[in-house]
Amino acid sequence: MSSLLPTTESPAAAVSRSYGAIVWRQLRRRPSAMVSLAVIMLLALAAVLASFIAGEVPIRWVEKGEVSWPIFRYLDNLEYAGMLAFVLAILLPVTIRLVRARAERAAASPFVRAVLIHAAIWAAVLLALVVLRSPERRYGFYLERAAQAESAWFPLIPTPRYPGYDSLPLRDQRPTWQHPLGTDRMGQDVLLLILYGARTAMTIGFVAVGIGSGIGVALGAVSGYFGRWVDLIMMRITEVFMFIPRIVLIIIILAVMPSWVPALWAVVAVLGLTGWTDPYRYMRAELLRIRGEDYITAARALGIPTWRLLLRHAVPNGMAPILVGATFGIAGAVFLEASLAFLNLVQTPSWGELLNDGRQHLETWWAWGAAGAAIFITVLVYNLLGEAVRDAIDPKLKI
Amino acid sequence: MKTYILKRLLLMIPTLIGVTMVVFFIVRLAPGDPIEAMIRNQSGNIDPKAMKESADKIRERLGLIEYHFLRDRLFGPEKSWAEKPAGAWFWSVDAADKVASAAIGYAKWFRQLARGDFGESIKFRTSGGSRSPLLLMMERIPVTATLNVIAEVLIFVIAIPVGFAAARYQGRWFDRVSSFVLLALYSIPVILAGTVFIGYLGMGGSGWHLFPVGNLHSFGYEKLAWGQYIIDLLWHTTLPVICLVYGGFAYLAKMGRASLLENLRADYVRTARAKGLPEEQVVYHHALSNSLLPMITALVLAIPGLIGGSVIVEYIFSIQGTGLLLVDAARAYDLALLMAETLLYGVLTLLFLLIGDVLYAWADPRVRYE
Repeated sequence: MSSLLPTTESPAAAVSRSYGAIVWRQLRRRPSAMVSLAVIMLLALAAVLASFIAGEVPIRWVEKGEVSWPIFRYLDNLEYAGMLAFVLAILLPVTIRLVRARAERAAASPFVRAVLIHAAIWAAVLLALVVLRSPERRYGFYLERAAQAESAWFPLIPTPRYPGYDSLPLRDQRPTWQHPLGTDRMGQDVLLLILYGARTAMTIGFVAVGIGSGIGVALGAVSGYFGRWVDLIMMRITEVFMFIPRIVLIIIILAVMPSWVPALWAVVAVLGLTGWTDPYRYMRAELLRIRGEDYITAARALGIPTWRLLLRHAVPNGMAPILVGATFGIAGAVFLEASLAFLNLVQTPSWGELLNDGRQHLETWWAWGAAGAAIFITVLVYNLLGEAVRDAIDPKLKI
Repeated sequence: MKTYILKRLLLMIPTLIGVTMVVFFIVRLAPGDPIEAMIRNQSGNIDPKAMKESADKIRERLGLIEYHFLRDRLFGPEKSWAEKPAGAWFWSVDAADKVASAAIGYAKWFRQLARGDFGESIKFRTSGGSRSPLLLMMERIPVTATLNVIAEVLIFVIAIPVGFAAARYQGRWFDRVSSFVLLALYSIPVILAGTVFIGYLGMGGSGWHLFPVGNLHSFGYEKLAWGQYIIDLLWHTTLPVICLVYGGFAYLAKMGRASLLENLRADYVRTARAKGLPEEQVVYHHALSNSLLPMITALVLAIPGLIGGSVIVEYIFSIQGTGLLLVDAARAYDLALLMAETLLYGVLTLLFLLIGDVLYAWADPRVRYE
């Protein structure tokens, strides 16, 4: 059916600059956006490579003339998945170039295609890893035998971190070369905790906001496009969720969340399930505007099925506020996650937890100060990026 | 005006019922059984029989009982089963029972709510028995309200002029610096600011002992004259109020800036300038008064976030308000109290929104009281 439609061949698309490219050009001109992007990349890199920066498993190990690379056997499957996600995100522009010609012939967005391809690769590799691989877990094995090795490349900060290791003698140390950010009251290296906190913050930021935006976009598109009683009912339901302050909703959901749910996924679920009201409102408002436009009428007149019309024509044109909202949303999610750990409602390895320790142990300023600074910088760069994206897309957006 | 308020109040009712539904079904749909965890949390490991008894009592009260009308009729009571039946037929019968018991549970719970019976708090008990969540909240609402009203007024008084000044000098240094500073303030986590304030400025901390922490009044405050009373209150609320307000500036200042800019570009401003009015009068008299109107809505819309933020602030400063009560209830699995608290926050938000709408209708003659 779709091959009969004139939309499948669009010579105009091949000449014109894509919407994404225009926004990117606008962004490139803003120093604050570029600095924020660089900081976000650095944070993501630190989160992904945390095991190479601080930890106890050596990267390279030479014993009796035999060379081995132990860290690759020890890395978690999720750590590999994180690294792959990072690499795939960096390679996205390359894939977009590669699929551009084919996508444009099919009148599809090369960006969306590239993202889908990368998501498929990522999911396949993750599945293969989970099925085929079980990482090694011998705590303290290499640190104890460090003297026997002819050569050992440990992570930059070789910190023992395994159950049963007595780290208490190391507690409350000021920053030194061995522990660049000092140690906390349990004797754990603060830099290591900050890196693992970055992991939590990044995961929660991206995944929770992704879930929230996904739900919001889907509901908002349906509500705005169909209007009438569908819209009326959905808007009333959304109002109910909007009128309970988000943190209150989160606290009550976390309270009844069963204890077998891992803390990280509990937070992701809670933030995702309570974060859809804003994207919903934006998408609904956009679609109320878009559904009256000529190209939608034209598409409907051509007999395009409704789901296809929504997916290919209506929703992509209403994504601008969602994108801006999501950038601010990540800042908000990092903030909320730290607050929840601070309130001791979840036990994730988090910056908020370090700050909560600081409440009782103010003298270890290097520990809570580093955590506070990490939250501040992360939230600030996402907010700056959000402002820049908003100005690049449409300065009049009211978000 | 009266009919307008009445109408808005009536329109609140369906939303309120929706809020009760959300609260009920969050607790109802939670996988696992929070009730037994809650009892274990409160009274340690007790023997199974006593556990079952008290759990059933609480379930009855909160409308969480599972009924098996259809299942018992079609498959016989659970005791008579040789093994658990399986298959789509059993599953759908069971699901129908679950839906029915959720509906019945909600109806029962709602009937109690409508009578003003919010169940019993298991966390906060006196020697005379358990206490009603309603009474517990009533004691604490004034504290939270005081904090939030002071914060709200301060935000309004500081953010709006900053926003207007930024619009007046659009693109100049004040505009740029203020927008960055406000964004940076907005990005400072409250939990960091609170920790620093308590540690270095609060009494009992390790720095200067400047401000008291934990209460809103000094001991024996009832005897103070009203002037001293106010000063005492402000002294006690300084730190928490700073924590509540500094993040709110960015949002409102931005709204103020956008609003004034829009008005400065409007036709009527061009007309005013064209007929030779002095610039001061054009800006301060014509544009400014018109820009203030949408600010009312913006301020009111910021309230849910502010009230939510006070949960964290109250926890940091150990202020005995409703926010701290909420956190305590969550820690102790005190479901009755949690549900009542969430409802309270919904009602508070709705009330504030109503006040905002009424103010707006009062300020803008174009809004008709339909």
